[in-house]
Amino acid sequence: MELKQIKQIIDLMKRSELTEFAIEEEGFKLKIRRGTNGLPLVSMGHSSNPPFGSGAESAAAPVPAQAAGVPPVAAGAPAEEAGVSYIKSPMVGTFYRAASPESKAFADVGTKVVENSPVCIIEAMKIMNEIQAETKGTILEILVDNGQPVEYGQRLFKIKQG
Amino acid sequence: MIQKILIANRGEIALRIVRACRELGIKTLAVYSEADVQSLHVQLADEAICIGGPKSSDSYLRADRIISAAEIADVDAIHPGYGFLSENAKFAEQCESCNIKFIGPRSKSIQMMGDKSVAKDTVKKAGVPIVPGSDGPVASEAEAVKIARKIGYPVIIKAVAGGGGRGMRIAHNDVSFAKEYHVARNEAEKAFGNGSVYIEKYIEKPRHIEFQILADSHGKVLHLGERDCSVQRRHQKLIEESPSPFLTADLRKKMGKAAIRAAEAAAYENAGTIEFLVDAKGNYYFIEMNTRVQVEHPVTEEVTGIDIIKQQIRIANGEKLDFDQGDIKFDRHAIECRINAEDPARNFVPSPGTIGLYYAPGGHGVRVDSHVYSGYTIPPYYDSMIGKLIGFGSTRKIALERTYRALSEYLIRGIKTTIPLHKAILADPIFIEGKATTAYMEDFMARTPPDLFS
Repeated sequence: MELKQIKQIIDLMKRSELTEFAIEEEGFKLKIRRGTNGLPLVSMGHSSNPPFGSGAESAAAPVPAQAAGVPPVAAGAPAEEAGVSYIKSPMVGTFYRAASPESKAFADVGTKVVENSPVCIIEAMKIMNEIQAETKGTILEILVDNGQPVEYGQRLFKIKQG
Repeated sequence: MIQKILIANRGEIALRIVRACRELGIKTLAVYSEADVQSLHVQLADEAICIGGPKSSDSYLRADRIISAAEIADVDAIHPGYGFLSENAKFAEQCESCNIKFIGPRSKSIQMMGDKSVAKDTVKKAGVPIVPGSDGPVASEAEAVKIARKIGYPVIIKAVAGGGGRGMRIAHNDVSFAKEYHVARNEAEKAFGNGSVYIEKYIEKPRHIEFQILADSHGKVLHLGERDCSVQRRHQKLIEESPSPFLTADLRKKMGKAAIRAAEAAAYENAGTIEFLVDAKGNYYFIEMNTRVQVEHPVTEEVTGIDIIKQQIRIANGEKLDFDQGDIKFDRHAIECRINAEDPARNFVPSPGTIGLYYAPGGHGVRVDSHVYSGYTIPPYYDSMIGKLIGFGSTRKIALERTYRALSEYLIRGIKTTIPLHKAILADPIFIEGKATTAYMEDFMARTPPDLFS
């Protein structure tokens, strides 16, 4: 492998999010890894559980300026573990754990649910919408607080399938 | 006092509204679809809420989710931009009933002007010329011929249930009318299941000239001059300019007054546009009113120096327009080119994809309104307009040369755009002479080899 090719590989790595690259040829082995103080990975906009709000942190400069040449990244989400999924909000509104302040919460950590089990209420425009699990499994984690505003697609519950 | 505005739109107009809000010290909330996470205005807004999946029908057209977002974020007003819900009277009404200020006219004005025949009737009563025609469908061939003769040939026979340029036949005299009338009825019956037709005067090779209106909530209605939008392809505008190279000072005055009368007849508030067709003899006819801010508003902003989006927000805030008709100066000439992600050499097929290198032109008299940047991926779910280039100067000649120069510097690599097409039009003698009518683009494409505009 020539120096020129190695330089090309380094360049490709810089311009992507690859953290590690390895190649083996006859009599030649190359491994390149991004250092901890190497190019920062640009995480744009929201974290995995976006409290709605974005621009405030990046208001100093438009994010694209930092990202020049870096392919756009969708909201940095933690890697999907096997058998784990998320119940996401199908609407914009306010999340409630129970049907009313005096009622018991629909679901807690450890609750087993099936497809039509109610898991929470999302209030949108004064209408209380019961949200169903739409999957079978056990609640692992509740990702939003009671009374928190949520957006479309926001992760509400972490569920272990089955 | 409006302190926070929800921007119910995307792309370049959403960015435009964010900019105006920032200058006014107003907080912004961007609502966006999952396909627009990387959008520039979403990153620049103070807050952002995802309202749905990539399709417009699952996001930007979801009035319920937009209003829900407005409520949980406690906004004072919603700016609808153009397209989407901007001319949806029901949405404006929902805002009104939720006590959120809709930045635009009242819902009843939107409703009135949204119905094309109600609109024509309304402005006709205010003494604004409309395209002469039968008042509704014709009951018989005899009645149709009578109307055709009264209007004067040529006439166009249109299907009542038609649209999109279909179900229309043109007749130039009594003999051809007798034939075309029956053909039109048969075609209408086959295509739309309804053979009813109406008659309108056929205006040959008209110019499309529209007047920008600003009206406050205290009764003041002003016009900010005209825009000539004759360069169109399949009824989609490509280039707009102001002033129109065709209008005389006298005709401009008459049409300006007519535009104001039309807006007053609709009890209009906020920004709007009155569209006219103008024939070769200078006869002008009202065709419709757009009850929203338009794509081509920058043309008027550069000619008059008036910030239309800021004025919209001020008007919505209940403020009075602090200038009069006589204060408005038309000092410059401005030309706008709509840059689309399309391939003009292959019948304008859309060209979504990732922009590799983006370099926008600048310099004296150049304005670029665009939300794209190097590395941005154009989502395939929405329209193909990626930006607007506006060149302006003290004369039309300067504006032409400047816009051409700016187009030559404009680099957008990785996708196909209509930049080369715009350059070819700006270099075309007929356009340079100011002779373009709505028939221009068809003629231009027919006589220009594809390698000159791609």
